[in-house]
Amino acid sequence: MLLRKADVEQYVEAKEYIDTLVIPLIPFEPSKDADFITTSFQVELTHIFTRAIEKEYRGRIFLGPDYYYLKGSLDEEIARLNQWVEQFEKQSFQHIFLFTVDSKWKKVEKDVNANLLWVPGLKQADLQSTETQSFIQEQARQITELIQAYW
Amino acid sequence: MSDKQRVSRRQFLNYTLTGVGGFMAAGMLAPMVRFAIDPVLQPAATGELKSVGLSVDDITNEPQRIDWKVDQVDGWYESEVQKSAWVYRTNDDEIVALSPICTHLGCTVDWGTEQEDEFYCPCHGGRYTKDGVNIPGTPPTAPLPVYDHKVENGMLYLGKAHSRGGGI
Repeated sequence: MLLRKADVEQYVEAKEYIDTLVIPLIPFEPSKDADFITTSFQVELTHIFTRAIEKEYRGRIFLGPDYYYLKGSLDEEIARLNQWVEQFEKQSFQHIFLFTVDSKWKKVEKDVNANLLWVPGLKQADLQSTETQSFIQEQARQITELIQAYW
Repeated sequence: MSDKQRVSRRQFLNYTLTGVGGFMAAGMLAPMVRFAIDPVLQPAATGELKSVGLSVDDITNEPQRIDWKVDQVDGWYESEVQKSAWVYRTNDDEIVALSPICTHLGCTVDWGTEQEDEFYCPCHGGRYTKDGVNIPGTPPTAPLPVYDHKVENGMLYLGKAHSRGGGI
């Protein structure tokens, strides 16, 4: 389910069935041209991944709000991110996943109170090409299989 | 000059007035008529079937998952939407195309993963028989929707999915 009125209303009614939350962690860095481009690509990539996961299992997975942060400053983010997780835990979510293509989260994984899903992703690619699309689809399928293993 | 039939002032005015009046009446009537018969000229939106790139000869007794794309317009937003279906041939040689969207909360169902010859929804364990009817006692409350289909030049065309109501 997505963060929009109709879906949230449906969620509130069928809470006991939706126990999985995915929060996309998305870096951005607007101060340098090169970083600006790569991070915006990561935004797109993360969206494609998380939408694909949500679409397959929308009856059990809720796609939470995107968590944007400045690329450099990860340490300051942990407390705020944990606060997000804490608030969502007040709902029915028992499995909270953080989806990211930013490998830096892997190092601080133990400090966040949720399951980190780090996907190596792609550095640069043409998102319109069929090869990239089938690659992403295949990876998304494997991620949903991993999420299923937690259920 | 005098032999020729002369048009009197009165006649001339009559002719021109009839002509101009006629144009004005036509100008007013044409859109009205067009609006009145407009529903007849509308292409039937529901009847639009799209080739899914699957040859009928490849459809077997075993359901197979097919994906295709349709253009969809939501208000201002035009997009290409990915659609999927489970397609198989019944014992009576009829083609059936089922929507893979679980009628419970909208997950995607798989074929034969949990029980043989059943559709299974991995989210909450919903089960459907091969013809898409939900098995009582599992979360779904309605059968899987069925797609409109036709066969043209040996290719399968699919249209809209139709809900089959409350079911069991």
